[in-house]
Amino acid sequence: MQTEFAFFPGCVLTQAAKESKMALEAVAPKLGITLKEIPGWSCCGASQAQDVDPVATLVANARNLALAEKMGLPVLTSCSTCLLMLRRAKAELDGGKKDRINTFLAKGNMSYAGTSEVTSLLWVLAQNAQMLKSKVVRPLAGLKVAAFYGCHSLRPEHALGFESAVNPSSFETVVAALGAQTVPFTKRLDCCGFHAVYPAEKSVMRMTGQIVDSAAASGATCLVTPCPLCQMQLDIYQEAAQDISSSKARMPVLHLSQLVGLALGVPAKALGLDYNVVDATKVA
Amino acid sequence: MATIIIDRFDGKNRFEQSYKLDAADVAGKTVLNTLLFIKQTQDPTLNFTASCRCAICGACAVRVNGHAVLACDTKMDDLIQTYGSDTFRIAPLANFKVISDLVVDWEPAMENLRKIHPGMVAKSEFSMKEGCRQNQKDFDRIIKQWDCILCGACASECNKLSADNRDYMEPFVFTHAWRAANDSRSKDPLLHGKPAVAGGLWNCVHCQECANRCPKGISAADDIAGLRGMVMAKGMTEGVGPAHAKSFYTDLVEDSGRLNEVRLALRTEGISTIARAGMAVTLLRQGKMNPLEAFGGETIEGHDALVKMIQAAHAAEKE
Repeated sequence: MQTEFAFFPGCVLTQAAKESKMALEAVAPKLGITLKEIPGWSCCGASQAQDVDPVATLVANARNLALAEKMGLPVLTSCSTCLLMLRRAKAELDGGKKDRINTFLAKGNMSYAGTSEVTSLLWVLAQNAQMLKSKVVRPLAGLKVAAFYGCHSLRPEHALGFESAVNPSSFETVVAALGAQTVPFTKRLDCCGFHAVYPAEKSVMRMTGQIVDSAAASGATCLVTPCPLCQMQLDIYQEAAQDISSSKARMPVLHLSQLVGLALGVPAKALGLDYNVVDATKVA
Repeated sequence: MATIIIDRFDGKNRFEQSYKLDAADVAGKTVLNTLLFIKQTQDPTLNFTASCRCAICGACAVRVNGHAVLACDTKMDDLIQTYGSDTFRIAPLANFKVISDLVVDWEPAMENLRKIHPGMVAKSEFSMKEGCRQNQKDFDRIIKQWDCILCGACASECNKLSADNRDYMEPFVFTHAWRAANDSRSKDPLLHGKPAVAGGLWNCVHCQECANRCPKGISAADDIAGLRGMVMAKGMTEGVGPAHAKSFYTDLVEDSGRLNEVRLALRTEGISTIARAGMAVTLLRQGKMNPLEAFGGETIEGHDALVKMIQAAHAAEKE
């Protein structure tokens, strides 16, 4: 098992989803995982910057990957959009753009070789489910989890490449290892709408509300997601979304790292559960 | 024994119907051949559309277990492996009006396609006499998008269309707009870009379903990004969408190198962001936002070098 990673937090983990970073940093040592933050990492472009300047976005991510290569470690991120952006950049570079982009990286005395793979917290946990299970000190028996994957954990399948995008199982594997139960819900693989919350607000609120309603209808205690952007959308905007649809359903939304922390016996405070907008402390 | 549950519609009533097939009757078959087998041996009333049977006409797309596939290009054996089951639900494409069983109404989508002028309007240097030739390199640039067979798989799975189709067009429409706008012979890219903007170009939710389900490997999401870049470069920078995209770029290149979430709303919506005041209060109360961030975050280590790299890339692009 790989135990050391070049950690790419992504912008959101340093700001509005700081609790996700807190939880991850509390959980990693308990799993024997060392996360070394990539010094000087930049924004991945967040699935937005490429609209303005695709080459600048590719250069920025080539630099991010080159920084990880200097550390001699694979990249781990817990943000699904960062995962997609970094993996797509790597695929583009490895697919023929490496030499050209390296001429630009040379301006900063850097070079991309393609030696660091890019993985996610979800994938590492799923690949090491038995180890995860062995570290559980407080099995989450009786907890009914609506496991919401989020688009950029799954799609496009050719860019992410870990599992089927139409019938994935990594998240269920991880939740089962923690002793909790996943419940089927119709919106499990849908989009939360986060990336268009400004330009397409009405549609996005409808999408967010439907996901919460779907999870509530399944009898779930909480929604959990590996993506901090989905977590923000489903948590921060939940009340506004539900007001629009006149839905009374309210659902705590946990980061995957927070759920893992609960099962590993990390106190709720250290997992930042009090930062979640919909009260998540009752899940603890 | 395999079970095929089909969502049916007889023009008045929606109902589901189950068909039991021997394992041998689905083994080695495509979804389309399975549908044909059901029609021929069990139920001649079952309606669906198909033509070429070799993945070039786009007529036979349906949903299997809630995900669009080209029926003639999808093997039952592969589905059994993917789902670990031999029970499947086959339904008509989503986000289309159903006419009968698996047959859907394409006219509204075709109307949207007409809006973006999918046919080329050639530059004035071309003529009937001289022709309208294109070199291989320029053709290669748009060859992928020409692969679109109008099957509707992208539209079926598009999460934005499902949420509201009144301010958005089918993803393949944007692909054809990109293709027409980027054709080296095309007179005016905005002839295709302007109706794309009017049809919701900035409303894509980035769900990546279109890129995932296209049987030809086309990413309408990428074409949407490309069109956005093109229309902005041509001066169509007004509105929330362009401002939002630019704010990420500004933070990456001109500011600290990382996104400033406190400034994001302000940069995206300007003064009208006051409408989100309640949200801001919630975030501040929860300690999720630090108002001091509005004055700017710490610049990343090596940002100067990052800017030099990007400048070098821009210089090379201009050559």
